[in-house]
Amino acid sequence: MKKYILAACVAAISMSGFAQDFDVDPTLNISNEEKKVNFTVGARFMADAALFNTEFTPLNSGACISDARIRTSMKYGENWYFYADFGFGNGEFSQKNIFLEYSTKDAQKATHAVKVGYYNDPAGTMARQTSLGSYHFISRPGSSEALGEGRALGVTYKYSTPKIFLYQGLFTENQYNKIESGFNGVTVSGRWLYRNINQHGGGHVGASARFAHIGGGEEYTTKGSTILKKTLSLSQSMETYVDDDSFVNCELPWANNVIDLGGEALWFGNNYFIRGEYKHKVVTKKRDSYKVFIAAQDNIDGWGTYDAWLTANPLRTNHFNGAYLEAGYKIFGGDYKYDMHDAVLGGMNGKSLEVVGRVNFTDLNDIVDGEYYSAGRDQYYPDGYMADWPYASSSVGGGRIISATLGLNYSFNKYAQVMLDYTYSNLKKDARPYDKNFHQVQARVQFSF
Amino acid sequence: MIKKILNLGALGLLAVASFSSCSDEQQFTDFNTNAKKIDVQVLNAELSKVRDYVPLYAVIAHRGSTFWAPEETEASWRWARDMGADYLESDLQCTKDGVVLSLHDDNLKRTTNIQSVFSDQIPEIRKAFYRTLTWEDGTPCNFSEEDIEACYQAELTDYYSYYPRNYYYAELLMLDAGTWFNEDNIEQARSAFGQQGDGQYDALEKTLESLKSGKGVVYSKGQYISALADQIAYAEGKMLKRDAEGRRILPYYVKNQYKGKTLKEIYAASEAQVVEGVEYGHQGRYHDFIEYDFSNAYVDDPQDSGNRPGIYIEFKESWAQPKNIEARVYNELAKWGWNICTQDCTGQPFYKDGKVNVGRTNGKVILQTFSFDSVERVFKVFKGRIPMCYLLWTDYPGDYATDIKYDTPEGVADFIKYMQDKGCHIIGPAISGAPNNYPEMNCPWQAYMVRKAGMLNHPYSFDSQAQITKYMGLWVNIWDTNPTEFDDLTRITIPKTDYSDGGTWNIYMDGCFTNRTEMNLTYMIDHGMRCNKALPNPFHPGQTFDNSQAPSVVPDAGALLTKLGYPRN
Repeated sequence: MKKYILAACVAAISMSGFAQDFDVDPTLNISNEEKKVNFTVGARFMADAALFNTEFTPLNSGACISDARIRTSMKYGENWYFYADFGFGNGEFSQKNIFLEYSTKDAQKATHAVKVGYYNDPAGTMARQTSLGSYHFISRPGSSEALGEGRALGVTYKYSTPKIFLYQGLFTENQYNKIESGFNGVTVSGRWLYRNINQHGGGHVGASARFAHIGGGEEYTTKGSTILKKTLSLSQSMETYVDDDSFVNCELPWANNVIDLGGEALWFGNNYFIRGEYKHKVVTKKRDSYKVFIAAQDNIDGWGTYDAWLTANPLRTNHFNGAYLEAGYKIFGGDYKYDMHDAVLGGMNGKSLEVVGRVNFTDLNDIVDGEYYSAGRDQYYPDGYMADWPYASSSVGGGRIISATLGLNYSFNKYAQVMLDYTYSNLKKDARPYDKNFHQVQARVQFSF
Repeated sequence: MIKKILNLGALGLLAVASFSSCSDEQQFTDFNTNAKKIDVQVLNAELSKVRDYVPLYAVIAHRGSTFWAPEETEASWRWARDMGADYLESDLQCTKDGVVLSLHDDNLKRTTNIQSVFSDQIPEIRKAFYRTLTWEDGTPCNFSEEDIEACYQAELTDYYSYYPRNYYYAELLMLDAGTWFNEDNIEQARSAFGQQGDGQYDALEKTLESLKSGKGVVYSKGQYISALADQIAYAEGKMLKRDAEGRRILPYYVKNQYKGKTLKEIYAASEAQVVEGVEYGHQGRYHDFIEYDFSNAYVDDPQDSGNRPGIYIEFKESWAQPKNIEARVYNELAKWGWNICTQDCTGQPFYKDGKVNVGRTNGKVILQTFSFDSVERVFKVFKGRIPMCYLLWTDYPGDYATDIKYDTPEGVADFIKYMQDKGCHIIGPAISGAPNNYPEMNCPWQAYMVRKAGMLNHPYSFDSQAQITKYMGLWVNIWDTNPTEFDDLTRITIPKTDYSDGGTWNIYMDGCFTNRTEMNLTYMIDHGMRCNKALPNPFHPGQTFDNSQAPSVVPDAGALLTKLGYPRN
């Protein structure tokens, strides 16, 4: 019996370096010292209820299972770690994380880790690096959803010391290579931090960058030409899982390259934390204009010249921004902890009560000054007034939203937690002129083991 | 104990949030609800004043009539005038020599015999036409053969068959604009609508002979492609001046100001249109060097009923017209005394002594368009001083460039605001129903929003009794058994008249484009909407509208055509 208890303790200690993958240490923990193997199985469940109040377009109040998943891991020796989890939320199976990591410490006690598999892009925002089970709000901020990238298939190298965190890698665009046409795009991304953490708290500051070349798209054939059209979609929910309607979204046809630049900062003490991020996304465009021009010559009143067509159908690089600031204060319970492995703040620590607040800003509007927008046609007009056959507009009216959230979180123990959030959002979107103010109260119960 | 309370409290909070969402009242995106909720922009005082130039419950004779006679011809407009319509409706286009036409289709194939006469080539008479041109005093212009050939070759490079912009008006007067109607509408055919006497090629053959002998174009002998000047003349109680053979008399000549110039130089010197000191630049494709003597083109119509309707004219596809057509129309209206910007008609009644008198009021002209380009240009030229209607169309999920793509309360509110900002006073929605089966764009919620905005609602186009009863009283809230949320603005109580017991109905229009003027007029008289001294005025609550002097007798439609010289045979 002692042998097993000891094994469990050793396993728990050895797992601490990978705690980001589990919100709590898995209860089922099997070790085989002889083979130097430790195997764990855990699970997580989250159910949300929400009540919405809107001015115009209704959101569906109700309840839903926002997350249900089974999580497994295996550690071999001191260096090898495998993790996989599988989701069943919303009644559908979904691919979550699955990766293999090899890590080692050098003589200066710096950790070198190589990771391969399907997991979060390093530059996908600090919020996305944090497991939802450890998050201090019911949802992550909308800006990280709209502008930050999620999981991708790739390989990374991480160098970390108590002061320095350098995490970068190479990813593919589509984990299943199920693109209609073109090739699987490639992404290079990284997150680099300086940090200073001690037993009473501390913080980090850093930057992230990501370059993605979009390779895949849809093709259409017309007038004997095959044209590859690559489109990028950006969107965020209303920071809820109960109704997934998106009021802030855009489609960017002819997208070619994506550049993400970010900055982040985190500061915390035993009883408080404050953190925030800024994200800037640049989307460049590319089009085989001549082929599209030729395809447009389909009637007697076709375009006169290629140059005239180019003038009337401009392509423009788009820019989008987002940011959030979050803060929390622990009323009672365990101290806030910092996860050195992933450079994020941990979740609630044992039985505790906290109050949290957040302000989020997401801007998917990139509108050319002076253009007129018609809601009856969902169209921008470059000349500033409606025209029968206007030049194409390069404006993007994805919407601008500011949200403020106040939350109260109570953790019964290390396994079970309830959360209550109130969020007010103010939307500015040409396509939804009557949807301005949104109010929502959300509650969550979650448990994991 | 405290712990338990805390734990139970937290769980209870979650339960309350969950169950409070299980309301019986499921929310939907609902057009009716949203139409009531949205604050539409209301017409300002200046535009409201112009709106009131238009009589309430106006009957607009759509192209004269598409049912009874060849559309937009002398026959259809004389008929509509004498029937008692308030407006003669038409569509404006432009010929190569700048004559403003009243013509619906963007090409001439359906309503003329152009394919027989000219084929899809530049008219074979074109060079001879140039050779025979004269100055006003009758002396020949004598353009050189080189000059004529150079212009002809230039025209070949910019020729689109069948579009009116490629033809001189004299050439169009060689066409027969009536026979097609007889062939397509056997039950309504009347031989007098068609080419009289000598067959389809009569005008072409005689023109070829005439040009050979140095004389001008010989016109056909039936119904013609109309000019705006013709339409105005019919509204004034006139008819075409014709010769003994029945061909219209309309001399043409080259304007004296171009004396001494070659054809090429005349083309280059094409004039700009000037309105109130502002130049609306010349359009290279349109050469206004030929003058047609419209001032001597008409005679008093012996069958004139005495009604003086207004005209309701539409600017058509912008890409097929000169960009200054709005300025041309401004000047054309002014020329004939029909532009209230230059000739105010304040104080005249809409109806007088049992006759329509709209054509003598400030409401004598209503402008209309589907085109965004025209809305912009009309606003620049007319500045909202003449009643202007924006016509709505949708073919969702298809998307023509000027459709209202989202015919939703949000979309309608957006269009209402934009059109008001561009000087429009009227919304013209399509209505459903045979034979056209247009999309339904005048549901109660849509009519309500237009009314709420203080704009007139002129739906198009009425072809049946079913449509008339639907939009004028018997839709949704029949016999007061099914009140709607829109009744506050659309349910009207009509007082008794000498011809009607009156009643309370939901009326979803303020005027109507109709091909059946006789049916609309009869219904309105029978239901007290016409010939009523005290109609409630929905735009001025508490005030009344008096149309008691409107004609109270609707002529027999077929018999009137016979009386006008188009007997059924």
